[in-house]
Amino acid sequence: MRRRLSSRLFATYLFLAMWIGASGCGSSSPESKNSGGAAHSKRTVCLLPKIKGISYFTSCHRGAVEAADELGDIELIYDGPIDGDPKKQAEMIEQWTVDGVDVICVAPNAPDVVANAMREARAAGIHVITWDADGTADSRSFFVNQATAESIGRGMVKAMVDDLGPDAEGDVVIISSDATSANQNAWIDVMKPALAESRLRLATIKYPGENASNALADAKDVLQKYEALKGIFGISSVAFPGAAEGVEQAGKSGQVLVTGLSTPNDMRRYVKNGTVKSVVLWNTIDLGYLTVRVASALARGDLKEGATTFDAGRLGTLRVVGDHVVLGDIIVFTRDNIDQYDF
Amino acid sequence: MGVRGRRTRLPRSVPSWFRSGHRELGLCLLIAAVLVGIGMVDPRFHSTGTWNDLLVRSAPTMIVACGVTLVVLTGEIDVSVGSQMAFLAAILGTMVSRTEWNLSPWIGLPATLAAGAAIGMLNGILVTIGRVPSIVATLGVMTALRGATTWMMGGSNIEGLPDALTRAAKQGLFRAGPPLGVVVAAGTAFVCYLLLHHMPLGRHLYAVGGGREAARLAGLSEIRLKWFAFAVTGFLVALATIVDVPRLPKIEAGIGVDFELLVITCVVVGGVSISGGRGRLGGVLLAVLLMTLIRPVLTFLEIGESGEKWAKAVQGVMILAAVLSDRAASRGVRREP
Repeated sequence: MRRRLSSRLFATYLFLAMWIGASGCGSSSPESKNSGGAAHSKRTVCLLPKIKGISYFTSCHRGAVEAADELGDIELIYDGPIDGDPKKQAEMIEQWTVDGVDVICVAPNAPDVVANAMREARAAGIHVITWDADGTADSRSFFVNQATAESIGRGMVKAMVDDLGPDAEGDVVIISSDATSANQNAWIDVMKPALAESRLRLATIKYPGENASNALADAKDVLQKYEALKGIFGISSVAFPGAAEGVEQAGKSGQVLVTGLSTPNDMRRYVKNGTVKSVVLWNTIDLGYLTVRVASALARGDLKEGATTFDAGRLGTLRVVGDHVVLGDIIVFTRDNIDQYDF
Repeated sequence: MGVRGRRTRLPRSVPSWFRSGHRELGLCLLIAAVLVGIGMVDPRFHSTGTWNDLLVRSAPTMIVACGVTLVVLTGEIDVSVGSQMAFLAAILGTMVSRTEWNLSPWIGLPATLAAGAAIGMLNGILVTIGRVPSIVATLGVMTALRGATTWMMGGSNIEGLPDALTRAAKQGLFRAGPPLGVVVAAGTAFVCYLLLHHMPLGRHLYAVGGGREAARLAGLSEIRLKWFAFAVTGFLVALATIVDVPRLPKIEAGIGVDFELLVITCVVVGGVSISGGRGRLGGVLLAVLLMTLIRPVLTFLEIGESGEKWAKAVQGVMILAAVLSDRAASRGVRREP
């Protein structure tokens, strides 16, 4: 009996050690340069990415720093969970609320999880906006929208049609994420009518989830199945490289074109070897820049509800649709310009 | 005969070829039916390309399923193999990638295998010495490893694996011949088959899962045998990682998501009793082939946009059917002494 008890204790100890190891390592404690509640000449803007440390958000941060330097009176804090845990996002928002910062810009991983913390921050008189991904409507005043579903969906179809040539006929396949992914489904709803206007036929849509093996397998299967296949759209950062890898492994680089949505760094290899001609994305540096511009304007009282335009510094005058400040169009990375981008 | 006969009729109504005893034959028939059927719908399914790829795809599942079969035979379960794969891929990538430590594969590969075995041993310790139910212990390890992987990768991906490794995984060891995964899977299956069905150790594993009391009376160490099964599983996950992950475009924290479900499905559909002690490796290997077939077959059937939802539903129905027939078979066994 005694032996059993001690072995139980041992197991519990091991468990605790593992849990603390797993969760403790993930939470990078917010390294906020505490500005306290004191009256400050500078306005403190907190930029919260979905995940800290990935190339996509690091490049957004670059643009944010640029805007902060330009404006001069902005104290910029950039921090976020390293593992994309929305609960940690909420904790950071709560901490910043206690610190009494001026503006919090959130890219929510799970809108519902962070909504409460965002509402509390607003109740404490802090301006809260969302960027990159929207939150619930009452949890923020504005959403800095990188590109509309319309421009992303149409942009991908246009890239495919342009790369194949206007006379190209045949089948195309979309490899998405999960069947429930909201962003992807919104783009698909735009892509379907856009494809209907072209000479390309949408043969099928595959849902490999966030699973690279499945995306690779699906790409190879559709290559076998559809003889008239001309192109594959990979519309998530897992599906796009997976599909490109599948086409390359099947020896069909250049015969079947892959287009989609991902960062230049993920796709550079496939662009260089001709499997991919166009990578569609928005300018992430500009997204970070615009977010800080909007934050600053809110803090000064220059941006109010009902505005229809916004003066965004070097980006010129941008549209405000409802409570969305729209960055504008997508950019297309090709063999010619991809080396100018590092994210 | 009267009343008892009626009561035993329910299990008997399960087609006899799907009962555990005839599981291999049943699976063979099922696979043959699927292949003939899909050939009639679209003859292009039967091309060297598809077949090659099917074998390559089934390789990691087959390698890991061999290990999990050992674990399930002893009456335990390991649900952490997917997270193990992600963690080991991160270790492998960090060590040998050109953009990371850039160590020689001769250091990186043994280290990855050792790490796999160590994780398996940790599972084994928790279950045997710690006496934590294996479903709970490996669930904990699953979450902990996934968290550790995300932390190690720091939100970015690892690229730049050595060419020798990617070439072996994609094109075979010497630029020709079967890809490494297929060779390793065949070897693993052969060794495990010998171990389970032609060696005393295999009989002991069955004995421990079949009836602990009997095994203990026979002088078998339950702890050591279970520990062995978990350690082998960890080692085999490392092996599967080495042959399969270099096929993918990059190493990311999401590798191996849902892999444990696929492997356990194969083990159960293959006729291994989830309560231990019964089942054969042949059935598991056939089940791996069958489960690997589902995705491409659904693509070739052109059921369209809802394909992915169907793939999951089909997998679920097969687990249920297998578990039900397993129960029916065991009831049948008890009634016919």
